[in-house]
Amino acid sequence: MARIKLTGYSDQVSVCEGETVRFMVSAEGASNVDAQIVRIIHGDEHPDGPGFIEEVIPSDAAGSYAVRRQFVDSGSRADVDDPQGLLDIAGPITIHAFVYPTTPMKGRQAILSRWAIHETAGYGLGINTSGHLEFWVGDGDETDAIAAEVPLVHHTWYFVAATYEPGSGAATIFQQAVVNPYNGRLGKVAPFDHRSRVRQPLRVKPKGGDRPFRFAGALMHADVRGLFNELRFNGKIDRCGVHGRALGEAELEAMAAGDEPPADGVIARWDTAAGYEENGIGDVIRDVGPNGLHAHGTHRPVRAMTGWNWEGRHDDWRVAPEQYGGIHFHDDAVTDCGWEPTVSWTVPAGARSGCYALRVTAHEGEDHIPFFVRPAAPKGKILFLAATNSYLAYANEMIVHHAPVAQAIVGHVPILSAIEADYYQDPEFGRSTYDHHSDGEGVCFSSWLRPILNLRPKWRSSAITTTWQYPRDLSIVGFLEHNDYEYEVATDHDLHREGIDLLRDYNVVVTCSHPEYWSERALDALEDYVADGGRLMYMGGNGFYWVVSSTDGEPHVMEVRKGEAGTRAWQANPGELYHQTSAERGGIWRLRGRPPQKLTGVGFTTEGFDFCRPYRRMPDSFHKTAAWILDGIGDDEIIGDFGLALGGAAGLETERYDLNLGTPPHALLLATADGFSDNYPGVQEDILFNHHGLMGTQNPLVRADMVYFTTRNHGAVWSTGSIAWSSSLPSNGWDNNVSRITKNVLDAFGRAGSLPGSEFVEEEKSWR
Amino acid sequence: MSSAEQVARERERQALVGRRRLLPRVPARADRTLHRRRWPLSKTTVLHLGGRYNPKTLGRERLITEKAPLWWFTFLSLALVVPLLAGTDKMLTIASTFAIYASINLMWMLVMGTAGIFSLASLAITGIGAYATCWLTINADLPWPLMFPVGAVVGLFVGVIIAIPARRMDGMYYALLTLGIAEVCRAYALQAKWIGAQSQGSLSGGGGFIPEDIRFTQTGQRIGYAAAFVLLLAALAVYRAVNGQRLGLLLRASQKEDEAVSESMGIDFQRARLAVFLISSAGLGVIGAFYAGYFRAASLSLFGVDLLLLLFAMIVIGGLGRAEGAVIGTLLVTIVDRYFVDFGAKRFLFIGLLMLASVLFTRGGAFGLRDQWRELRARRRSQRRAARTSRHGAVSPEEAPEIADKAQIYQRRFDHNQRAHLKSLITDDLIAEHRRNPTGLHSEELERVMLYFRKAELAGKYCVYAVKPFAKYRIVALSGLPGVPPRVVDDRVYPTVDEAYHAVFLRRVNDLRSS
Repeated sequence: MARIKLTGYSDQVSVCEGETVRFMVSAEGASNVDAQIVRIIHGDEHPDGPGFIEEVIPSDAAGSYAVRRQFVDSGSRADVDDPQGLLDIAGPITIHAFVYPTTPMKGRQAILSRWAIHETAGYGLGINTSGHLEFWVGDGDETDAIAAEVPLVHHTWYFVAATYEPGSGAATIFQQAVVNPYNGRLGKVAPFDHRSRVRQPLRVKPKGGDRPFRFAGALMHADVRGLFNELRFNGKIDRCGVHGRALGEAELEAMAAGDEPPADGVIARWDTAAGYEENGIGDVIRDVGPNGLHAHGTHRPVRAMTGWNWEGRHDDWRVAPEQYGGIHFHDDAVTDCGWEPTVSWTVPAGARSGCYALRVTAHEGEDHIPFFVRPAAPKGKILFLAATNSYLAYANEMIVHHAPVAQAIVGHVPILSAIEADYYQDPEFGRSTYDHHSDGEGVCFSSWLRPILNLRPKWRSSAITTTWQYPRDLSIVGFLEHNDYEYEVATDHDLHREGIDLLRDYNVVVTCSHPEYWSERALDALEDYVADGGRLMYMGGNGFYWVVSSTDGEPHVMEVRKGEAGTRAWQANPGELYHQTSAERGGIWRLRGRPPQKLTGVGFTTEGFDFCRPYRRMPDSFHKTAAWILDGIGDDEIIGDFGLALGGAAGLETERYDLNLGTPPHALLLATADGFSDNYPGVQEDILFNHHGLMGTQNPLVRADMVYFTTRNHGAVWSTGSIAWSSSLPSNGWDNNVSRITKNVLDAFGRAGSLPGSEFVEEEKSWR
Repeated sequence: MSSAEQVARERERQALVGRRRLLPRVPARADRTLHRRRWPLSKTTVLHLGGRYNPKTLGRERLITEKAPLWWFTFLSLALVVPLLAGTDKMLTIASTFAIYASINLMWMLVMGTAGIFSLASLAITGIGAYATCWLTINADLPWPLMFPVGAVVGLFVGVIIAIPARRMDGMYYALLTLGIAEVCRAYALQAKWIGAQSQGSLSGGGGFIPEDIRFTQTGQRIGYAAAFVLLLAALAVYRAVNGQRLGLLLRASQKEDEAVSESMGIDFQRARLAVFLISSAGLGVIGAFYAGYFRAASLSLFGVDLLLLLFAMIVIGGLGRAEGAVIGTLLVTIVDRYFVDFGAKRFLFIGLLMLASVLFTRGGAFGLRDQWRELRARRRSQRRAARTSRHGAVSPEEAPEIADKAQIYQRRFDHNQRAHLKSLITDDLIAEHRRNPTGLHSEELERVMLYFRKAELAGKYCVYAVKPFAKYRIVALSGLPGVPPRVVDDRVYPTVDEAYHAVFLRRVNDLRSS
């Protein structure tokens, strides 16, 4: 029997009563699927826990649906809006651009083209299979081309142009590097002479027709999937344009030096540095010529990138936008699969808030497409905040396959699943912010509008060998369910959109195990909520760490720029740390003066994945203001030496109390876990001088701290300082000391009014 | 240090690598426009110039990437000029014969090489063309310029007839059949009355393009050779047009693949084969007409097995499947056959020896020798390197220029040193420690060994594969290449992760020890 592959995504991260969510399903090996709305209660299938638990929700969406394979048309590009066909070749023409190829040897790529591969028609300026700049034309049957004399060198800025006169067939190629000490991989010292001017007659006349003029790709057609993007270009394109006459060498030389193209004969003049506003720049590439032929990006070409004329003095596009005309295109970028909807569901009145999924099955094939149902208006007292930003950051992460150091980071041998091995053959759904694009650049956009294989309730991370993010967080959901707490669910996306109003009516907000990625608006809302009397149960590690942002109206695409410091899978290139969607400085919040300690009392201190450790009580846990948290726990009791994640409640990624980083001075250190191996190094952002002894067995910073403090108006924060805490909850049928402590806190935080122990505010009178 | 040691040191010293430039390069002027000229109506450039950066200096260089046109130009110029200017009678005759035979061979090669049809009737088609046109000039006063189109039509007609069985028969049987056709033609020409009462089945006294009065003068000979040279050029043009363009590409694609595969890809293999066969038959008819026009006669030798075998020898010696081979083979054999007539039968023995040597020692005839020589050199070089580098796994000075990233060269040295040290740490106790506790706190020695394993390159790196999570695990190795899935290393299944971890550890220890 053929293997059945089912997958899909939802068009909404979260919905509430009366709203409709659509599901795009793709199937291989099946033409029909059974669909069912389910509520997800637990995910982790580790034998020490309750296993996977779902609850079927009777709905009008349930039923059988016809499905087909849906394809992904990947590769970021931009298409020009040209209804009059001004860019069709009619007379003499010049195409010019500043380009920065990153994979010139990766096969044919189209930089600027009006070319249909399946028709062999049109024209294109690009890179040929031997890495040379080439201008080609096709008459519907045959092609002809003119190429530069020397190949393009990767990571080098060039001014390139091609001129062509259809009458005589005369064509020229013009190529010249624009190297300064900052803008490329190599400086002037490397004695390349990149200049090439070639003249040659072309024997084929290009055929016109209705085709898009495209940046960084060309059109292709296949019967099974229709039109799609091919000849995908990797690299940056800066200012470029099309001229209605063959420009002379002197004119091109002036343009290579940065002059504006001559006004006479401009058809299009794309000023890639135009359009920067206070809050960033969108997907439109502006034509500042007479015809307004703007180009519209697909799969979010990366902007706010340094251009050919970047002088290295300013690292922020807001200071010198004219030096930030670079637009980076990637052949594997995907921010919206654009599939046809298969199933839709309108959330009925009275539907319970929670973690939901559309379950699709066909024979042995099965998939859960997750989404969240938030309350239309708060009813309960407990809000579980799903870390959807962090889910996106890790979406389709494949670090084991790409990074030689992955096994050294995790400290063990990864455990691959069949789905992962399979997906690796064709990573068609795009990558995570932990991966690199095929040209080695870090991935800075991640989108909800694509199948996300690891955002599935049963998924286990290959690198970490346990659950991670969403499936792990379901252990917290399972805990709430098992103990019959009345909780409601909202997401990072909802908090970003609605702000503090989303939280105000809840007595307590429960976070996920690894809420690592935060937008400023969401972080402000949570901080204001806590400052003003809200209560936060932060059962996680390495939270509130990276800066993320999104464009208003397009919340499904998240931007992150990693750089300068922090435990990071990649590093933004010099000058490229500022977000294009929000104009913010990217990187870690700590470097923007907002370490996580200021909100939660703890902040990232170490990570390791070989084994987890238990906590032991610290003296503060015997103070009456906090002793109730450890009610029922023995004085020397070992806390959490069990769990579904590597056998302990403290580990994976952990955090520490640190007054210098903003832990409130009255915070109590209730418990600490230590005894980690050397696979738990101190985090990079704490290191000034690197020296021997920064690893777990010799570094006092390598530990997990449980911290408690109160805020104004009966507010409070309780932090566990460890990701693994969550997966110790289900052990022994949810009956264990980790579960007990969590219940103690949640019972107290869930009640309005003063907190237990809050009256013991006077100093000790110690007689002992 | 004793002097003996010093001598030994000296002897062990690495020979230096690097080579002076001996041949001049085309000057590369980056500041000037390069005019790429093309042949009229063609996409082929006159000079195939390629630019590159010299990897030693990053300096610009201009290379002729495709030298064959230059060689052709030189060869053909010499072939034209030398006999015409310096030619004796004998030389001019030999040159003309060479040009005619080479033209026949080129057409024949299209049939055998390009179309893949083992036809031995090519010479017979030429013969029929010659007889037909010669007879028509004698009996129907056909003017000589019309001989060529008539020859083409006759050749095409005969080609159609011979092509019919080719759809059904293949290989040896078809070869025998076509040999039979040639023999039938010979027997017929010998006996047919309408050919005339001429002696021994030959026609003579036909029309020709060299005026009768100067035919046997040097001028006549020169005109004859010039015409034969034009014929050769035309044959080369046809060969190139068929073999190098669409038809030839199609057929070569289908020879590489299975015929059925190419059919399924939409290549009409049989049709393309037939087209090539007919084109070459028409060409052979024209050559027959030329023969008749040149000699004003048609002789029975055109149907003879001896000439057929001589032509075959030319192709074998030159190398089947390349125009250069056909021409060079023809030149060699024609010279031996015609210039050394005085040697008598011995020269045929020599041709036989040449053929034997070509079959035994070359892979593509005389013209494949250059590639063969290069391969031999590459093989010898890699053998020598293998012998030298097996000592330390270090990179030799000869190898270094081929490694673009010099950090890789150091990485090899680093790995060698690391492995040497780590090997000394591996003991039974260490292995036992890992078995007891694959993921716990480890001794410094074990942790050091494991860290080296974890940091290894991706290609071939082991991972555990969960066949069934928490129940069945296997070991796989990563490809290290994007899109290439991991490979399963063996069929063993482990019930727990710890057992799989330990199995991976044992494999890595084994790899380390055997490295």
